Amino acid sequence: MRRYKLSGLCLLWLLSASPAHSDDSPIGYVKTSTPNAVLITGSKTEPAVVGSAIHVGCIIKTDTNGTLGLTLKDNTVLSFGPDTEFEITQFLYRPTDEQLKLDMNLLKGTLHYISGVIAKLKPTAVQLNTPAGIIGARGTHFVVKVED
Amino acid sequence: MIFKKTMAKIPLFIIPALLLTGCAPTAYVALLNNADGSVGEVMVKGAQGETLISKANTGALLDGSSTAAFAVDKAQLQEDFGAALAAQPPLPVSFLLYFQEGGTTLTPEATALLPEISAAIAARKEVDISIIGHSDTTGDAKLNEKLAQERAVFVSGFFDPVKLAIKEVTITSHGEKNLLIATPDNVSEPRNRRVEVAIR
Repeated sequence: MRRYKLSGLCLLWLLSASPAHSDDSPIGYVKTSTPNAVLITGSKTEPAVVGSAIHVGCIIKTDTNGTLGLTLKDNTVLSFGPDTEFEITQFLYRPTDEQLKLDMNLLKGTLHYISGVIAKLKPTAVQLNTPAGIIGARGTHFVVKVED
Repeated sequence: MIFKKTMAKIPLFIIPALLLTGCAPTAYVALLNNADGSVGEVMVKGAQGETLISKANTGALLDGSSTAAFAVDKAQLQEDFGAALAAQPPLPVSFLLYFQEGGTTLTPEATALLPEISAAIAARKEVDISIIGHSDTTGDAKLNEKLAQERAVFVSGFFDPVKLAIKEVTITSHGEKNLLIATPDNVSEPRNRRVEVAIR
């Protein structure tokens, strides 16, 4: 039993030490939503409602009529139009260790981006990947569209 | 006017014309004004080229097949991004609280501000807040981080998560790494010694 517990702890430690999930606490919350938006974490799909937590690696998906808006803990504001698929792949917000990074993927659809503190403290730390090209935002406000 | 090779292939004036006739580009980014009226910059790196845009209401193709920035008018923005723009959450709002030098005693002005902060929190649905301690650059960075953290913890006591229906309170310290007023190291600056309450 003790052995089991220990290996369980080790497993937890390993999971928590993996770079993609270095911290289990949410990086932000859904603030606006329609019934046609979902959050996909691994094989689990749940409706995105106002107050849903956002984690690194979870995919935000809207259908033909869906929209969604969220804020991240560094005050970044993101909102999405219909037929959109989006993911935050890295979020580091620890100014005291100079650990600042926001990496995002827009697979398709539309995104409205308003920069937060990460971009303010380190303008080169924000990157948005799309199938067509990479956007480096330097502390700013933009919209981007990617069609299938 | 000097055109780069890639720009010469598609004259600048044709691209806005394409937008107006409905043949909008399938993948592009458009820069907008910041809330304070300033404008940032966006750098796009596509397989076929790079474009830097630094003027509001201009766009760039993501794939770099043309590296000329083009105008994006209001109608085009509304057509492509109306839904995403309408889904924008309220902008986060921040309050700054100042302390008497050295300890965790708020200034009288800061104390007077507390009810207004509570009201701003209560006014939002599914609200989450960050309470962030900041210091000036006087002395050791690690000690500054610690003092700023203590001040943030102290301030957190004024906001009851249950009473104000706060989803999550994040208490952190940015020490001397997020100055309000830019200074060199070892500069005493009262406006940098603050706790910020960010309401989202």
